[in-house]
Amino acid sequence: MRTWKEITSLKNVKILVLVVIGLFLLVLPLFASQFVNYLMLTFFAYAITVVGFNLLFGYTGLLSFGHALFMAVGAYTAAFLTSKFTILYMEVILVVAVIISSILAALIGAICVRYIKIYFAMLTLAFGMLFYTFLLKFYYLTGGDEGMRVLRPYLLGFNLSEIPKMQYLTRSYYIYTLVILAILTFVMWKIVSSPFGLCLKAIRDNPEKAEYLGVSVKRYRWYAFIISGAYAAIGGALLAPAIGQVDPGLTYWTHSGTLVFMTLLGGFENFFGPLIGGIVYIFLQDKVMSLTTYWRFIFGAILAFLVIVAPGGIAGVISSLVKKEKRDE
Amino acid sequence: MEKTRREFVKLVGGAALGAGVMLAGRDKARAQAKPPKGVPAEPVKIGAMPGLSGVIGVPGTAAWRATQIWADEVNATGGILGRKVELYMEEETTAKECVERFKKLTLEKKVDMITGLMSTGNGLAVGPLAEELGQLWLSWDGTTQKGVEETMPKTKFAFRSIDNEAEAIGGAILTAKFFPKIKTIAGINNDYSYGRDCWDAFQAVLKHFNPNVKAVEALWPKLGETDFTSHIAALKKAKPDLIMTSFWSGDVPILMKQAAAVGLFKTIKGCFTTGGGAHYTLKKDFTPEGLILGYNSLYFKWTDTWPLLTRFVKTYHDKYKEYPVYECDHAYSCLQAYKAAIEKCYALLGRWPTKEEIGKALSGIQIPSLSGYRGYREDNIQICNFFMGITTHKNPYDFVTIDPVEVLTPSQIIKPTAGTKLYEWIKGWKS
Amino acid sequence: METIVSILLSGVFNASTLFLVAAGLQVVFGVQKVFNLACGSFYALGAYFGIVVVKSFVAGGFPKPLFIAPLIGAGLLLGFIGPIVERGLIKFVYDRDETFQLLLTFALVMMIEDVIKFIWGTSPQTTGGIDLIYGRFNLFGATVPVYNLIVILCSLIIAALIGYILLNTKFGRIIRATADKKEMGEALGINMKMVYIKVFTLGTVLGTLGGALVIPATAVVSEMGIELIVLAFAVVVIGGLGSMKGAFIGALIVGVLKSIAIFTYPELEMLTIYIIVIAVLVIKPQGLFGGGRVS
Repeated sequence: MRTWKEITSLKNVKILVLVVIGLFLLVLPLFASQFVNYLMLTFFAYAITVVGFNLLFGYTGLLSFGHALFMAVGAYTAAFLTSKFTILYMEVILVVAVIISSILAALIGAICVRYIKIYFAMLTLAFGMLFYTFLLKFYYLTGGDEGMRVLRPYLLGFNLSEIPKMQYLTRSYYIYTLVILAILTFVMWKIVSSPFGLCLKAIRDNPEKAEYLGVSVKRYRWYAFIISGAYAAIGGALLAPAIGQVDPGLTYWTHSGTLVFMTLLGGFENFFGPLIGGIVYIFLQDKVMSLTTYWRFIFGAILAFLVIVAPGGIAGVISSLVKKEKRDE
Repeated sequence: MEKTRREFVKLVGGAALGAGVMLAGRDKARAQAKPPKGVPAEPVKIGAMPGLSGVIGVPGTAAWRATQIWADEVNATGGILGRKVELYMEEETTAKECVERFKKLTLEKKVDMITGLMSTGNGLAVGPLAEELGQLWLSWDGTTQKGVEETMPKTKFAFRSIDNEAEAIGGAILTAKFFPKIKTIAGINNDYSYGRDCWDAFQAVLKHFNPNVKAVEALWPKLGETDFTSHIAALKKAKPDLIMTSFWSGDVPILMKQAAAVGLFKTIKGCFTTGGGAHYTLKKDFTPEGLILGYNSLYFKWTDTWPLLTRFVKTYHDKYKEYPVYECDHAYSCLQAYKAAIEKCYALLGRWPTKEEIGKALSGIQIPSLSGYRGYREDNIQICNFFMGITTHKNPYDFVTIDPVEVLTPSQIIKPTAGTKLYEWIKGWKS
Repeated sequence: METIVSILLSGVFNASTLFLVAAGLQVVFGVQKVFNLACGSFYALGAYFGIVVVKSFVAGGFPKPLFIAPLIGAGLLLGFIGPIVERGLIKFVYDRDETFQLLLTFALVMMIEDVIKFIWGTSPQTTGGIDLIYGRFNLFGATVPVYNLIVILCSLIIAALIGYILLNTKFGRIIRATADKKEMGEALGINMKMVYIKVFTLGTVLGTLGGALVIPATAVVSEMGIELIVLAFAVVVIGGLGSMKGAFIGALIVGVLKSIAIFTYPELEMLTIYIIVIAVLVIKPQGLFGGGRVS
């Protein structure tokens, strides 16, 4: 016989909240406007990416300023397969994106994880920009600055090309992406709760001690790099059909900066922080960009505020309020 | 007594008559202020997507200013068929964001038409989107061969701008005309699709007139480069007779300045196919006379007898202390065409037309704009005249202008249909 | 011969401007361990402000050949934003992780970009042809504007000055000794707060001065700050983070290599920088002259 306290334990409340949010997101397309649904779609793609990014940033302590590279890899995979090879099965696209990004992440990561902090950030930035230059230069392959088209993929084998584009996006594709987000978030939860995840946290907090205790610091960082790269590729591959066109701007270093911003805004110390950050950023950006052409200034100010005053982000603020509540009980 | 009474009656009668006429006139005016039959009373919502920062910020800001000036002018004369024009601006940035902004304007703000966009990649992303959403899109710029040939053969809602290579073709025609004896050329173009396309088109056309011309150097600085000292030194070393460049933004004055610093154009001729995009920054103290300079579709001084131009240039200069560039007319003509298409439909249908009907009316339309008459072909690509000439210092400004002003017509520099392959068309020229 | 001279001269000119920005970056990183992404933005501000000053100078009827004096003055004067930024923003993150400091300077980049757009708009601006006043110089058949030589000379003088300060003055000794050792400095009774302010201001001034000096030879465009970061970053990676000598040599290498690429393989121009950066980071991540832990 469970006590009332056990039933309303924080863990169960959290799970309930998640289920409610999940259901809400599922039925949102029924009453929200088409544009809001479209924004949510982009949020799902970014959410997957930043959840993966935070494995590297929040849990392993490595700031990558070139993570948009892997998003671009996923996006260009989708573009290539659909427009150049007419392979339209979304599942194939996702698998290929993961494979390619994992290989790239393994290679790049092997170089990068030997360095820390600023050097790591700089090296990842350099790789991101190198990929940008590559996409621009080899225009025969990649379309250069004009980019490449992304055709509408089949979902679970269903060819849905008869449905009008917006309806396809805001119904079928929406649910598809949401389900993938839910699955991947659950997988990530398992990862960070596992012994592997604990090792990463140990490495983040005190690398020498972790090494001394027998944890291969470089190897584990490498694994984290590959996993987060794969997540970003999936996010990019899911984003591409929604936009319809991929271009090299996807891997420009300021796009990587956006990923960092989202994670920081939501709170990198909290598992759900990046998700909060993603949705707030997307809707905030939409509002602010419509209000003024000086939105960069506003976002810069927000970022400065976050770094100086609230580095724990929104989740950090919420959790300190909750702690205060608990203390006052 | 009789007389004065009669006069009094006359006076009062006259006053009453005058008042009556005045009142009747006021009613008539008020009746005219109401929109005509079949036209909704709410304002027309026009979405604009200019690029406001970075390299496209230069022409983009100019085009946005022109859009606003047009809207003010039209609203001052009663709007389109009595409906006021309301502008909704969303900035052009990356392809992903352009797609978002386009959807927002269409789905949320529910605008009647969207105009804007200059970057090729963004245009390729938005074109199919406009067709899918059934939203009229009148593009300002960025039409490359790829966009025109491959992706959308016949559109209903997407109206593309003039082919990008037109100025390169015009530049080559003028090079053959003014500098017929040159034997070698060198190119310095931005390393992206527009730069490459211009260089290829320029060479192809020049070779048609002058088959023995050789390219001795081709440089590819990235878009946004701010230092050309090394490039200029390399160009000097190659010793071409003429240097061609398709720069169109902030890099034009930089190249010109740094070239002047070493006297590059003292011995070498130059063809700046699109340099007019930053013409007011080409100050006399570092821009020599005798260069071919292209102003794309608007030369701010092409004539004194076209009132639309004179009024616009004055308004623009008074407000912004700068002179308009070609992007202004791209924006202005799109809006003129839109208005004319609506009026044309109304004359036929007696009511405000649907987007599809407007689209049909836009095909093949010809309208007066800042640079003369412009319009859309039957395949929904814009055509217009281009203005290029030889730079001169003989003017009252501190920057260069052109004299003589050559007007290049669409039949000379724009291929006849979207389906034609550009280089086959050039090969097929008779003269 | 002419070609080699051309390549070298244009490469060295490129290097001079890069050196000034990179030096600003290095001095701040060396002492406060803050990687100031906004160094390019300070450079852009210096350029815009330089144009304003030169235009007023010429409009005021002063003798044109002397324009370089107010130009340098403008660059130095604008350095006053250094203490404002340092006290207003940077000081809050000294105790934080380096990556947070990086993010703060990233925020600064975004803000300054819009400030520039707000004040000066998007049209490119120049100082007109005023730099041509000094004429041209012919060296082994290669023509170079005298103004460019002046810029190179100024950079060399500044480099020498910095070297002198670092080696021979008390301030310099304090900088070298307390680099990254704030507590030790404080324990020795040194006012580290003042040191930090002074160092950051020095870094800022190097940036604004660089921008002001260069602007007569080019034109200013609104995004030049962002473009420059990537190049400055390449310079400090090659030279080694925190090393002034590294900034000097690194700038030379980047400037000259870029020049060589343009002459020989123009298609590779964009790629060369990144490949070199990655190669250096892999082979000798501390760069040529850098020290400190990297892994």
